[in-house]
Amino acid sequence: MIKIQEEDFNIEDEINRIKLQHLNVGAVSTFIGYVRSLNNQQKVTSINLEVYKDMAYKSLEDICLKAQEKWNMIDVLIIHRFGKLNVKEKIVLVATFSMHRKESSDACNFIMDYLKKDAPFWKKEFYDDNYEWLENTRLTN
Amino acid sequence: MIIKYFAWLKNITNIEEEKVDDKNITDVKTLKEFLLKKYPQLDQYMKKEDDFIRVAINLEYVTTNEPLNSKDEIALFPPVSGG
Repeated sequence: MIKIQEEDFNIEDEINRIKLQHLNVGAVSTFIGYVRSLNNQQKVTSINLEVYKDMAYKSLEDICLKAQEKWNMIDVLIIHRFGKLNVKEKIVLVATFSMHRKESSDACNFIMDYLKKDAPFWKKEFYDDNYEWLENTRLTN
Repeated sequence: MIIKYFAWLKNITNIEEEKVDDKNITDVKTLKEFLLKKYPQLDQYMKKEDDFIRVAINLEYVTTNEPLNSKDEIALFPPVSGG
């Protein structure tokens, strides 16, 4: 399931909602990204996340399918927020559900690597008296 | 065709999207030529690595010179920073 939304979410509720649908889930791996208070040696006050929503849904669905082909996944959940987010707020949750630990953790990392590299989101980071558009480090593989 | 601009590219174009109807635009290459004439400031970024400004046609990234038609939705992106 892919959700792209402005509002915050409860991690445990979101995971339980999916887990209850699958009695064979033995492992759930998660990545949670937060807005941190320091970046590029500057004090961050907030960020604004822009998204190309139609394409983001499509590209995240594609990567979930790839992960499900590569590993024996039972389900995948991605929630990515957009709009204004303050320090300490959640940005993204990726949760992968499988029977065994290695499949879920490998798939979770795979999805996050892709998301960082290709998913059409842009962070504008605000400091006390200026701002900067961020660029993710490019992966070589 | 519709052309959409994202993040700081909008500071150059001053618009989020526009409808372009020009018979000379037949593929990605001619679209880039058209945009460089209209927005000369794009030149410094287009000249960077090949994929610095990325292009998507109908929600799919393209890296080669693909043909375009009048109903396409084109998006121009700076490097992404999600997650």
